[in-house]
Amino acid sequence: MSNKMYQTHSLLDIWIQENNELVNKWKQQEGGDALSRHPSQNQTHLRLCSSEFNKLLRKIQGIPPLADHTQLELTVVYNACVCSMAQSQFSEAQLLLQQATERVLQMTGDDPVASDPTGFWRTVLKSVGNTALTPCVLSLLCLQWAIWLSTCQLKTIQEFQDELFSVFETLSTGVWDEGRREPRGKSSDIPLLVMDPRRLVELLQICTLIAQGAERLSEGRSSEALSGLQSAFSLPAPRTLIAYTHLLSGSCLAHMSRPQMALQCYRKALETDSQCVCALYQSMLIYRQLGNTQAEIQALRLLHSTLTLPSATEPALAGTHLLSPSLLLCSRSLSSLLSVPSALSVLHNLALNCVLHGRLSEGVEYYLDLLAALHSEDQHGVHAEGPPLPRLPELYLQAGAALLMARRPADCMALCDEVITTTLELLPEKVVLEEPEEECEAETKALSAGGEDEKVRMLLWAGAAYLLQGHCYTHLKDWKPAVTHYTRCFNLLVKVRFKKRGLQPQIPSADVVGKQGTDLCILQRLKGLSLAGRGISFTQTDQLREALRDLQLSMQALPECAGAGLWCGEVLWRLGRRREAAACWEKTWSFTPQPSVESLSVYLQEPQSGPLLDSMELRRRIQELGPTSSA
Amino acid sequence: MEGRCAVETLAGFGFSGTSCIPRVKLGFGTDVFLCTGSDEVYVFSTQERKLTAVLQCPGPVSDLVESHDKQFLYVACRSGVYCVSLQFLLSRYEHSSPRADASSSPAELKISSEFLVAAEEGVLSLLVVGSVLLTLSQRDVFWTLTLYKSSNYEKLSSFSRVSGVVHNDAEGKMGRRRRPALICVLSSDATPPCSSSTSSSEATLSDGHVRLEPVLFKLLFGIDVALAKSPVILCGLPDGCLCFLPLRLPGSRLRVLRSLEQPVVFVGASAPGQCLVAVGEQGRVVLIKTDKEGGGHKTVFIEGCVPAPVMCGCVDKNTLYYSTGSDLLLLDLSEGSTAREGQERDEETRSKTDAALQSPTSLNVCRIVALAVSACNTAVELLGLCVRGQLQRITLPVGREDATLSKVPSTQGGRSVRDLLSAIGDVCERASVLKSAIKSKNQILQHLNQVLNISFLLTASTHSEEQLPIQQKPIRCHARTGWSRLLQEDSLNLTCVLDNSSPYVLERGWTLSVALFPLSCPPSEGGESSSAHFSFPFHNLHPGQTFEVSLPLAAAGDASFPMTVSCSLIFSLTSLLGEEAADLAGLQSSCVSLPLNTLTVDWLHALQVNSPTATPEKVTSQTSNPTDAIQDFLMSRQIRGSGRAEGGGERADQYSASVRVSAQLLRDTLLLKSSDLDPQGPKLAPQNVCLSLLDWLLSEGAGGVTTGRQGDKVALCSSGIHARGPNGHAVKLTAKEVNVGEESTGKEESPTTVEVQVQSSSIAAVCGLHHAVLRRVQTLLQRAPASTKSVQSLGLRRSLQRAERLLQEIQQSRISVAFGMGASTGQMTRTLLSVYRELRENPLLIM
Repeated sequence: MSNKMYQTHSLLDIWIQENNELVNKWKQQEGGDALSRHPSQNQTHLRLCSSEFNKLLRKIQGIPPLADHTQLELTVVYNACVCSMAQSQFSEAQLLLQQATERVLQMTGDDPVASDPTGFWRTVLKSVGNTALTPCVLSLLCLQWAIWLSTCQLKTIQEFQDELFSVFETLSTGVWDEGRREPRGKSSDIPLLVMDPRRLVELLQICTLIAQGAERLSEGRSSEALSGLQSAFSLPAPRTLIAYTHLLSGSCLAHMSRPQMALQCYRKALETDSQCVCALYQSMLIYRQLGNTQAEIQALRLLHSTLTLPSATEPALAGTHLLSPSLLLCSRSLSSLLSVPSALSVLHNLALNCVLHGRLSEGVEYYLDLLAALHSEDQHGVHAEGPPLPRLPELYLQAGAALLMARRPADCMALCDEVITTTLELLPEKVVLEEPEEECEAETKALSAGGEDEKVRMLLWAGAAYLLQGHCYTHLKDWKPAVTHYTRCFNLLVKVRFKKRGLQPQIPSADVVGKQGTDLCILQRLKGLSLAGRGISFTQTDQLREALRDLQLSMQALPECAGAGLWCGEVLWRLGRRREAAACWEKTWSFTPQPSVESLSVYLQEPQSGPLLDSMELRRRIQELGPTSSA
Repeated sequence: MEGRCAVETLAGFGFSGTSCIPRVKLGFGTDVFLCTGSDEVYVFSTQERKLTAVLQCPGPVSDLVESHDKQFLYVACRSGVYCVSLQFLLSRYEHSSPRADASSSPAELKISSEFLVAAEEGVLSLLVVGSVLLTLSQRDVFWTLTLYKSSNYEKLSSFSRVSGVVHNDAEGKMGRRRRPALICVLSSDATPPCSSSTSSSEATLSDGHVRLEPVLFKLLFGIDVALAKSPVILCGLPDGCLCFLPLRLPGSRLRVLRSLEQPVVFVGASAPGQCLVAVGEQGRVVLIKTDKEGGGHKTVFIEGCVPAPVMCGCVDKNTLYYSTGSDLLLLDLSEGSTAREGQERDEETRSKTDAALQSPTSLNVCRIVALAVSACNTAVELLGLCVRGQLQRITLPVGREDATLSKVPSTQGGRSVRDLLSAIGDVCERASVLKSAIKSKNQILQHLNQVLNISFLLTASTHSEEQLPIQQKPIRCHARTGWSRLLQEDSLNLTCVLDNSSPYVLERGWTLSVALFPLSCPPSEGGESSSAHFSFPFHNLHPGQTFEVSLPLAAAGDASFPMTVSCSLIFSLTSLLGEEAADLAGLQSSCVSLPLNTLTVDWLHALQVNSPTATPEKVTSQTSNPTDAIQDFLMSRQIRGSGRAEGGGERADQYSASVRVSAQLLRDTLLLKSSDLDPQGPKLAPQNVCLSLLDWLLSEGAGGVTTGRQGDKVALCSSGIHARGPNGHAVKLTAKEVNVGEESTGKEESPTTVEVQVQSSSIAAVCGLHHAVLRRVQTLLQRAPASTKSVQSLGLRRSLQRAERLLQEIQQSRISVAFGMGASTGQMTRTLLSVYRELRENPLLIM
């Protein structure tokens, strides 16, 4: 008997030793240069560890469950499970847990009656009672919690919340140490764990609160989510996670229409974790919503610089390497809240905002940065969530328009040249623009690249490029080439036949107005602008007849075009048709600038750089004319 | 094409690998990298004509690629991508072999996990673009294109695509995984991604990327890609899809350019960049070009089919070279690329290209499985790996277009002789293959000729069957029956003998088919014919030879006689064509069946004659085996029971039937026949007539079937024979001379007759034997010389009276049935049975 005892004991010792060696080896590796090493090597090491633990476990489980062995067995199960979960093999981990707990029940002589997971665990906890095994079983319960959390079974967690949070209490009050010291005196005999369950349970608690908050928020229960998150602020947790709780609180407040309070929360999140880019992004959205352009631009700038900085990987909390928060937080609602557009998209937003709000030189710089980034070799088609970047020709034209606004016509012309040379060979002789379907417009636009739509779009891009070049020459007061480029633009535009449903394709007449943002609208706008530009150029070369024709046509195509209206009046004035001129001016001033103009691409807006007419002067002329007209 | 292609074998590598497709890649300088599908990568210097290094990889090598700066070699194995520094490798080589030593062994390097740079499973293709290493791998149904930064092997991004229908059948046949084609395409106006190359013309060769005309590039990949000057990754997948991925466009996705609907083997472009070409395994070639239509350009896809299967391909300038395994072919891509203006011209050029697609030029080099274009100034040089693992340099004849080289320099002359010799070797190989094919075809034709001769012979003999008795048929069957006892079980075997007396040989492919079916079926089986078929293939049966087969007729107790045995010869085309027939699904079941002759096995054949030692009364308990005795007992009980039911208390073993034959007839036939052999002559006692009749009945081979009893003559010492029928019942066969004349008219000498009486407890046995005896006697009658004996008053009156009485009886019973006057069916049958018995027991005399 004693001999037998000795044998089993020695076997037990061998297994404990084996387990501890594995754990120590792992910790050595991890503590060493885990960060500097290649991630794939880390993965290999993890895989190796996992298989070793599983092998050991198979050895231990080869004999029927014995009370003496159970603590060791559960420890090895814990280690093996952690390794599996670190490789995202949750179903394997679940299987290991299931087997281990069933063996515990077998040992204590209880039958696993309950089929639902919570009931099952209640049975296990009850059957173990308050014995030396409790800490081991509790640590396994932690793992079960982790599995539920990472597989988004929030409902199960909710059901079992009280028990889970009491585990937290039990483990953090030091039962762990007592329980583990009890059976054996020597510390070398205690089977070691790869990860401290106390750290794990801390992590689990805050992650659970975050996941629940995100879920409630996405279900629209903002205030409920907020109260849940409030309790998480004070928990011991990595800074990233605390920042998440602030961020989520902010989102809740934003949903409850308290933007200022939301901003406070976002600021807190940023203060807690400077890497929390989503807080920056969310604040930017709030500033945009509030119309605070300067703050929005500031936020965008910060966001961009944070995104482009090499992300300083935060040292993980000691002993939580294996199960990272990202492994535990994978619910869809949370990831949608945490998503941030790509750096390029942010940069584009920044550039456009700067240009639209008068910070031209800054905007131009950002545009040039954007183009450089797109051409750099480090750009590898990384696909990010969020709004996609505009098409490349679009970006070129926007950048060109910005350059022109910043009085760099030569650079603008170079960009436009690029667009023209790229598209020119592909431009069709004739193209039919169909009246778009009402709903599925956006999708078809995305899908039908390469088809007829793509041809129309290419044609419009080339037209816009010519228009911008015309503007450049106008800016340089070089009227002849200006006329040439405006004419080229117009010649391209007349290739487009518009097809209304049920009718034959035709050149759209001047009074056809497309809906905002559609190709037809852009087409008409380009027509109006190019005719206006040519008309204005003609006025400068004193070809008044041609000028009048173009300007009038332009006003037909684009009634709200102020430049065309004013210059048309001027031409009429010069031609001696003063009354008509006055009427023309009055009519132009009566058009209030439409708010939708801002949503148009920058290159489709009226140039600010051409020859200008002084409104004061015009009004003075009308006044001079006034008495004669009334007389 | 005029001129001959020179093939020079540079080195031989074993060809052991079967899991991956071999690959030849030109390295820097004169080095060539090879993988033959095994675990090894060879570095071969074409200049020194020597193997300089061998890399031993941990698994079968699927692909390899060199970095742009020629510093590293990436090797893809199953477990991942390994990187070896070439400098390191070559320094090892130089270290191991000082320059002077020409016979030095190559450097060997075992690649272990320390060289692993990207752990990814199932990598099939590799590509390096600038500072990016791309891998294309297959896991389950996903194709994944992964981008790694080549400085630190950080995973940049990856793109997945669900594989379409992969043609698994062929893949399984080849037993290796196909390598997808993976290339990088640039617009020819874009700057090369790698700044190290000096001039643009050199860049094409140095980085190995394909340059396309800007218009074609824009049309295919979109204007954004052209504006971003992004390289585009093109991959031809084994599911037939030609996919592309713009490398440097934000948010780009893997998109399908075209589907070839067969595994893509090669993707490339002509050197001026006017034509992108993709080749599928089953010979589909897609040329992608631009076409000017109505002012705007548009893409045209020209599809054609070339001889398949395509094993590998490469493009040099304007020519596509590809190997089908049996030949190396050349396809001109340049036609149509120069003329551009006018619709007509375009039409013309397109048709020209189509024509070129239809007729590739053969270069007469066979068994190439991997190809690469070697840089050479004067002539086109290809490097090929042949199926046996030999690296070959294939030099194409110069001056195909510009015949400027008028004189071959002497050094070249020496070389060309060598080339010629190796080319001859190549031709020899092809010739021997063709020769063996012709030989086998001749053999098949000869064989077929024999088959046709036999078929005609047999069909002719069936047409004239009436004239030819069985004995005179050129190919015929006869049979023998015999009882055998195996494991306490008696069984009747039939030995069938095929006799070939025709002048032709029955060769391989013929099968003797024997079909057994009962002439009539026992009523218990519901009329369903229970037939059995046996076939016996045989090899060669020369004229005069016989082929003997044995088959079980029936175990004791379960067979119904008489049985018809029809023999036929079957020839199947599958055996004629051998393996070639396996490809033709329609041939599997086609065969020719020629009937030979039909034999009949009747009750007399199947009788088991008891040895005379056994007492006739104890036939049923003849066997000493107690179980047999019990069986017999049970059987007799059964019979008695059933007999009682039918016969209404009649004695069961009293069924009998008799046949009367005139003794004169017997004497005329049987004794005449035996007199030929027997010197005793015709003076035979009447007893002898009976004996000889019985003897004849039991032993005569009626209808080609003989009984295999030996020593049964002894049983004939008395005029009666005790035997057992095939159903196990005892039967008694007696022959005696009787007088059948009407006694009242004793004036005339009544003719002596022999009466054969069959007695048994089983009515089936009586009927069967009666039938058999009648059949035999019939043949006797046919044989008898024409006799004109008058038949007078041979008990005719008595017979007539009897017949009248029987008729009355039958009518009586019919009336009673018709009126339903309590006459059960049992009564009815009983009446009919008694009539039958009456008829059988008092037969008419057969003269």
